[in-house]
Formats: sequence, structure tokens, C-alpha cells
Amino acid sequence: MDNQMIFDAVQEIFRDNFDDDTLVLTRETCADDIEDWDSLEQINLLTAMEKKFAIKFKLEDVRGLKNVGDLLDLVVRLTA
Amino acid sequence: MNHYTLSDLTLGMSETFTVTVTAEMMERFYAITGDDSPIHRDAAYAKGRGYPGRVVYGMLGASFFSTLAGVYLPGEHCLLHGVECKFARPIFVGDTLTVSGTISHISEAVGEVEIKATITNQNGQKVTRGILRAGLAQ
Repeated sequence: MDNQMIFDAVQEIFRDNFDDDTLVLTRETCADDIEDWDSLEQINLLTAMEKKFAIKFKLEDVRGLKNVGDLLDLVVRLTA
Repeated sequence: MNHYTLSDLTLGMSETFTVTVTAEMMERFYAITGDDSPIHRDAAYAKGRGYPGRVVYGMLGASFFSTLAGVYLPGEHCLLHGVECKFARPIFVGDTLTVSGTISHISEAVGEVEIKATITNQNGQKVTRGILRAGLAQ
């Protein structure tokens, strides 16, 4: 899976989670940009990605995530 | 009550219990929610709509998912994050329900498990399906 495919899949997960088909992510998108992106939605997003990409996050992986770019880099690393 | 922590749980673990829905439960649910829809409160009305008797509140049936998570799987250390459910068939007063759940995903990083849950009546018909997301202590 190349980086664009990962980005597209992550964007789809965000759209599905926030029930917003118009949501457009950038690497800089962060929790301040999406009203409902709270701690519970962070859990939902991460578990959806674990299932989508068949990966397992570790606590230290997800603790310092600041934005979508960090999340994408993590998924790329774990799926490599 | 069970006391599973995250590290105790494995994919495919399951728990089951049974419960019979009584008229008293219907009264208590009504007292809490104030839902006086005649399909739940008026047997003649329910029969007029083609049902053999009052239809049990779907959310009353689904409330047993709370028991499943909080008492059985994982039990004490659970805090429910979310429940999605579908009311596949009606439940009637007097039905004996088998409530079951199986661990379908474990996320150690966020301390959450997903539980696929079903409620089946005494005739073996699936009446309610649910996906439970339960947070729990590490």
C-alpha cells in the first residue's frame, strides 16, 4: 500500500467516524480543527486504523501524536 | 462478577448469561424513561398492529449489553465507550433471552476491546445484535 492509498484510507476512516463526507484532511489537520475530535474519537480512529491496516499500535506510538501527519507517518512505518 | 483486565483478554473469549423479560421490567423501564408509546404499553394496540402482545422496548433488551460488559466481559474494570445495536426482531414479555458476547478486537494502545454481542430468544432467533466498545484498566 503506497502513501497515497494510506492517506485515502485514513481520510475515509475520518469521514466515516465523523459522519462528514466532505471532510478533507491535510498533514497539519489536528484535533483543534475538527469539533468532535475528542479523546473518545481518538480511540475510535486508532482502533479503526488498527483494523483497516491490520496493525497494532503501542502506547508509546500513539501518546505523542500531534496531527494527521504524525498519524500517517506512524501507519506508513507499521505497514512497511 | 468477572474481573478481567486488558492483559487477561484474548480474541474469541466469550461470555453468556440468560434473563427473562418480565412485566415488572417493562413498568420500571417506563418509569425511568417515560416512553409511553402504545406499542409497548397497550396490548390491544400491539395486537392491532399484528403482534402477539406488547413489544418490549428495544432499549430495554439492549440494556442487557450493559450487564454483559459491566458484569461478565470484561466485568469490574469495564467502562463502556460505545454501543451500536440493531433490533432485528421484536422481543415480547416472558421471552427468555440469551445474551452473548465475544471479543473481536483488542487495542492495547488505547485500552479498549470490541465485543460482538447478540441477544437470542428462547426459539433461537437473534433479536438484537450489537457492537460494544469497552475501555478497561491495563
